[in-house]
Order: sequence, then structure tokens, then C-alpha cells
Amino acid sequence: MKKYKLRSWKSAAVVAVAVTAFAVWATSSLAASHAATVKVAIMTDCKGAFGFGYELDIGGAQAAFAQYAHGKPTNKAKPSAGMTNISVNGTPVQIVGYGCGNDTVPVAVTETKRLMEKLGADVMVGPLSGDEAVYVANYAKAHPTKTFIIGTAGSEDPTMQIHPANLFRYHGDGAQWNAGVGEIAYKKLGWKKAAIIVDDYSFGWTSAAGMILDFCAVGGNITKRVFPPLNTTDYAPWVRQLPPPTQVDGYFSAIGGTGTSAMLKAYEQQYGKLDPNKWIGNLFFGFLGADKTIAPKFVGAYIGGTGTGPGLKTAQAKAYEAVIKKWYGPAKLNPADLFVANYYNAAWALVQGLAKSGGAVGTALQAALPTKLKEGYAVSRGGYAYLDSRRQAIQDQYQLQLVKNADGSVGPQTVAYVPAVDQSFGGLVKPTDKPYGRTVPSCKKVVTPWQGKIKVVKNGVITSQVYK
Amino acid sequence: MSPATWTHQQRVERTIAAITLVVLIIWPAAGFSSYWTHQILIETFLFGIAAASLIFLYAYGGMVSLAQTALFGIAGVILGNLATASGAGGTSKGLHLGWDPTLSLVLAIVGTTVIGLIGGAVASRNTGIYFLMITLTYSVIAVYTLGQVTKISGFSGIGGINNYTPGWIGNILAHPNRLYYIALGTAVVAYVLIRYIVRTPFGVSLQGVRDEPIRMGSLGYAVPLHRTLAFGFAAFLAALAGVLYVWWSGQIAPGNVDLPETISLLIMAVIGGLSRIEGAWIGAFAFILMDNYISTSTHIPLIGFGGTLFGGSFNTVIGIIFLVIIVISPNGLMGLWGRLFETRRQTTGGESPDAPAAPPAGPPKVSPDRPTT
Repeated sequence: MKKYKLRSWKSAAVVAVAVTAFAVWATSSLAASHAATVKVAIMTDCKGAFGFGYELDIGGAQAAFAQYAHGKPTNKAKPSAGMTNISVNGTPVQIVGYGCGNDTVPVAVTETKRLMEKLGADVMVGPLSGDEAVYVANYAKAHPTKTFIIGTAGSEDPTMQIHPANLFRYHGDGAQWNAGVGEIAYKKLGWKKAAIIVDDYSFGWTSAAGMILDFCAVGGNITKRVFPPLNTTDYAPWVRQLPPPTQVDGYFSAIGGTGTSAMLKAYEQQYGKLDPNKWIGNLFFGFLGADKTIAPKFVGAYIGGTGTGPGLKTAQAKAYEAVIKKWYGPAKLNPADLFVANYYNAAWALVQGLAKSGGAVGTALQAALPTKLKEGYAVSRGGYAYLDSRRQAIQDQYQLQLVKNADGSVGPQTVAYVPAVDQSFGGLVKPTDKPYGRTVPSCKKVVTPWQGKIKVVKNGVITSQVYK
Repeated sequence: MSPATWTHQQRVERTIAAITLVVLIIWPAAGFSSYWTHQILIETFLFGIAAASLIFLYAYGGMVSLAQTALFGIAGVILGNLATASGAGGTSKGLHLGWDPTLSLVLAIVGTTVIGLIGGAVASRNTGIYFLMITLTYSVIAVYTLGQVTKISGFSGIGGINNYTPGWIGNILAHPNRLYYIALGTAVVAYVLIRYIVRTPFGVSLQGVRDEPIRMGSLGYAVPLHRTLAFGFAAFLAALAGVLYVWWSGQIAPGNVDLPETISLLIMAVIGGLSRIEGAWIGAFAFILMDNYISTSTHIPLIGFGGTLFGGSFNTVIGIIFLVIIVISPNGLMGLWGRLFETRRQTTGGESPDAPAAPPAGPPKVSPDRPTT
């Protein structure tokens, strides 16, 4: 090694200069851009269980920017390549960054701070997953001048319990998504007693709550609730805790990700072939890749929806689907996919808000964000989804059935229409209640606003028949 | 220890440290980027404390502990459960005991230290790879306990903890510079504490236990007790870091204590230099800098060939840097720094009196056929 003989004062001075120069360089990277430009961050997942949602979320949001704010996609086959030229009535809008979460909270913390503080975003469109949204809601409370429009996170807490004034959600939570499916199980499939197996975290609990509330409201009884932790690989011990098929009429499932097929395999090994009339899953039975792996085992089974109506033939739905195909057709985004639809609606709401606020952000934007949105699959009340007093959407829901398509593939089709579902399930769930969890909600016979009013949907058309 | 007896290297280091400390103290007032103040620097301070606990155990105790992250998380979980309250607008997970924040803080730190002492007692009769495996077990237990016992945490963890700071700290959300100074002060105190403890009779005999446990045992020193107490002290430091973390982020979840986070802490310590405590903060700073600046949205025109560096993959970059550091300088950045001062003439072995006498370069000796006292 070279023989260095540093003079301590000279070297200290050199180091001090280097440190200062570095500091100046680092801080200059935050130099303020045009004061008028609105900075938007799209927070999504690029790793972990929902990493595939990255392109879907960005594509959905940017399709709205392209349609309503003159955005130009950089690459129509790859939404994350970026978008330029976004402006709302002359106010330029810049997408400063895409959040790269992995469904867990610690990464959500660093990504949120990176987007909102380092990159200086004024508005966040996102996040994707339930637990990330709980963190973002708490963060939003502490940062009232920033605006947050939830992407597609389905946990209950952000708008029910935490509900900061600068957080908006233009889609239902996981419970709303399942509204009606429990009633269908009771009335159409004749289930009186059921067991439920649920991912042991906030989205699992929220999704299960929708099934439980609805099923119990009509008179059903949930006899057993099983909660395997997230990222379980061996579901056999958990399936063993479920009552055998002779003791229950059916099973509800709120297991997602890779756990769904693992859990069903364990069940098959224990009890034999899966019966589509004895299983109702949440969206994880029909979406996000499950249409190839799980749906084929359950042709004819009912599954919980996501607020979108695949195959719905209303003019509004068709117009929305055409917009997605127009801007990101080569990326093959499925417009009925909740990731695409929910981010699209969030971004569209933002554009409307900026148009009304004249490009102002902060509290002015929060006051200007629309309280009703003409979402693609909305039908009731003039075809709008409305925000309630907690800035949570009251949204039409669609329950689905897995059907075999002409080309042999199996996919979800809309079979039931549940109008204007609100997060409180018609007042049954109150903000002062404990959040959904292992014992919440309890099984009670009550009347939901849509009880007896769920309309049958045949071939994409909402009929006047109801589920009896 | 008057300045006259300082070596050349010590003089340089202490001058730099003094200047850095002054810069850090005036930093928030100097109007520099608040992202740096409230993210990069606070993270450096608190993860540096956690990394320092790991380096302390290795450099002065000869023990590689993978449980520091778990202890860090446990402190956060205890504080979250005790301090947060439920109710309208409150956080949604955890026990929500709503106890006095100062009491919760004390209990979190004391509780974690006690858990560390118990854990240390169980592990203290093992050395080397066996000790490492036991601490890894603690880490896994922590992850699963936090993930599966949904009453105290669950997958989502506990949020909003930074709404419940003690009165004498006040509202750190409204005054984020307060957390900066608290973190800076705690880091300085932790550093001074470690430096003090290693010069006490306990610290010196701990180093003896590190080097020659059999001889120390035959001289009458209680070897397992030394290791247990060292582990307890490291747990105390990790608890300080954990409390600062939940005040900074407001959130604690199993994802904060899982294997990737444990390894991240180890990487911080190794990059900084496992032989010197100062390496903890240097390594934490380097790691956090890279973590924040290497992502798909950061374009580094000079290095990144006009695009992002390695496609914005932080893990690839940190892995490469880690490899390079291990190959060039196993003692990390502090080791590189120390080499600048090496003279050709080997007078005192070329080591600064600050550093502890050479810790084992490879894995510590393991003698399964000899009882470890």
C-alpha cells in the first residue's frame, strides 16, 4: 500500500470540503421545479405477492391521464415506460415516480417517504395493498397538505377507522366487494351452515367480513373460522381444522396469492374432488392468474367480485373498456381487472379535481375532488359511484360465476348485480366498532339494504329477476 | 488520554468527527433538504445504533448475533402495544393499552433488555456458529410471533405509534426536527456508552472472554455471565434503535424483523467495518444512501449508462458492493480507512489503540469436544 502521510489539518479541510460539496449536490437534486407543475406519484407493488400489479396499476392510471389530460404513453405495450405531456386545463402534471412496494409495511414506509418527501409529490395515487394503505392513511393524517387517492387497496381501516380528510377511495373495500355473495349462497345454493378459511391479515379479514355479514344477515350460520397466517406453505393442518363436508353445506374462502391453490390441494387430498357447489371464494378464485390454475376446478362456482362487472354490456362499461384498449391495447390490460379499473378511476378523479381547483393542490384540491364518479361499471343512481362522508365510495357490486368460455378457458362472468353498496353495510358496521378481525364481525341475522334486491345478470344484461 | 498521546490517525479521525458533529448539529437550521434531515440522517442515526450493537457483540464479545433486528422490532412492538390507544381515529391493530407514553417507553426498553438477557443466558454457553444459529432462531421466533399472534401485531403490524410520544418530547409530527436531535443525541450517547463500557473491568474481561474463554474460565471469570450481560447490553442498544424507529415511521410489522431486514443490518455492519464501532454509522449511512438513491425512478446519468443503475435493482447493487468490500477489505470501510495510515515499518502492528485487539478474522474457533466452561 502507498505510504500516505496526511497532514491532519489539510486532510480534515479536504474532507470538510468534500462533505459540503456532497451535501450541496444532494440537496440540489431537490431543487424546486416549476411551482405550477402538479407532481403525482403512482404507488404500486413491483415485488412480492402482487408484483404483477405494477404494469396493471400504472396502465390503468395512465390510461385515464391519456384520455382526459392529453397524456402520451411512452410505450403502449409497457405502461411503466412512462407518460409525458399530461396537463389539466393548462396546468402541467408530472408523474415523479412509481412506488415499488412488496405488500409489506416497511417497504411501504420507505417508498411513501421517497415519493412524497424526496421526489416531492403533491398527490399519491395508490397504494395497491391493504396493509400499505393502513400505513398511508396514518401518514396522510400527519401530512394534511398532501392528497392521497387509494389505488386498489381493500382494507377497511383507512376510510372507516382512520379516515383522514385528505384520503379518498373511489372503490369499495374488500367487504363491499363480497356484498351479496353470502345471500346467493343461502338462497341459490341452499347453504345454511358454512365454514370460512381466511388469510390472517387485514385484507383477508375484510374480505371475509363481507361474506360473513351477508350470509349471516339472511339467516346463515358460520360454524367455524380458520385463520392460516399469510405465507403459509403447508395448509394441511389448517384444512384439518375445517369441519368435514358432511357437517357443513359449504366453505367460504378468503385465501389469496399462492395460498389459494395450496389450500385447495390440501383440501382435495383430505376430502377428495372439489365440488363447485360447496365452495365460494373471493376474487382470488377467478382473478390474478387464478383463472388458469383454480377456476378450471370450479366451473359453475360463485365467487366474490371486485366492483367490476366482467362481461357487462352497458354502454358505459363498453365505453370504459374501449378507452383502456385505445391507450394500452398492446399491453393487454384487462379492463375488468380491479387493478386496472380502480387505478383508472382514481386517476380520473384526480384529473377532475385538478380541473375544478384550477391546478391548485393541497386543501384546495381536496375540496375539489369529485364526490361522484361515472365509473365504467356503475349502473345505479345515474351510473355514478358516490363518496360517503368518509370519502369512501358507495359502489355497485357484481357477484360472479366461473363459466367455461367458447375457447375452453374458464373465467368469471357477472351473474348478480348488487346496487349501491356502502362500507357500513347499511349501518351494520360503525366506525366505532372494532376493525374487522378474527372475531369481528359476529354472525347476526339482520337486514342488509340489498337483501332480496340482488338482480340476476344474464349474458351481461341486468334483468329484473331477483335472487330468491 | 490527552491529545498529546494521540496517534496521527486518531488525531485525524477525531478532527473529522468533531467537524461532522458540528455540521450535524447545525444541519436542520442550515436549511438543507428536509428529505435528508428527516429521512436519510435519522435513519442513519437509528440503524447505526442497531448496527453498533451488532458490532459491539462481534468486536468485543466475539459473538455474531443475528437477533439484533428481532430485539429492535420487539422494542417497537412493546411500545406500540402499550402506548397506542384505540377509538375513533386511533390505530387499528395491537392491544391498545393506552398507557402513559413515558412509562411505555421505559417498559419497552427495559422489557427488551430483559428479553435480551434471557436470550443471552440461553445462548451464552455456545460460541461461534452455534451462537449464530441460536440468535437466528430468536429472529425467526420473533417474525412468527409478530406475524401470527394477531392480538399484538399480526401481518399488518401496529400503526400511528408516533402520535403517542411522551410529553417531554412533544409532537414530533408537527416538529420533525425534534426527532432528528433526539436520534442524533441518542446515537452519540450510545457511542459514548459503548466506548466507556469496553474500558471498564467488565469490558476488558469481556475481550478476554472473546479471545480465550477457557483461560478466562480457569482464572475464575464467569464466562457465560459475561456473554449474557454483553448480550443484554446489546439488546438495550437495539431497543433504543427500535423505539427511535417507531417514532420515525410510526409503524412496526413483522416485515421489519424478517430475514431480509436481519441481513440488511448485518450488511450495514460489515460494510462499515466489523472491527470498529464507528463503522456502524458509516455502514448504515452508505447502505441507506444506496437504498434511497438506487431505484427504478433514479437516473444516474454518469454511471447508469443513460438509464438506471442495473435496472434500478437495489439488491444487485448492494450485493456487488458487499462482495467488493469483502474481497478488498474484510474490515469494511473503516478497514480501508485504517489502511491509509499504515506505515511500512511495523512498529506497533500498525493498529490504532482505539480498535480492540484483533478480533478473529475468520469464524471464531469452535471446539465441540471441549466444554466451553
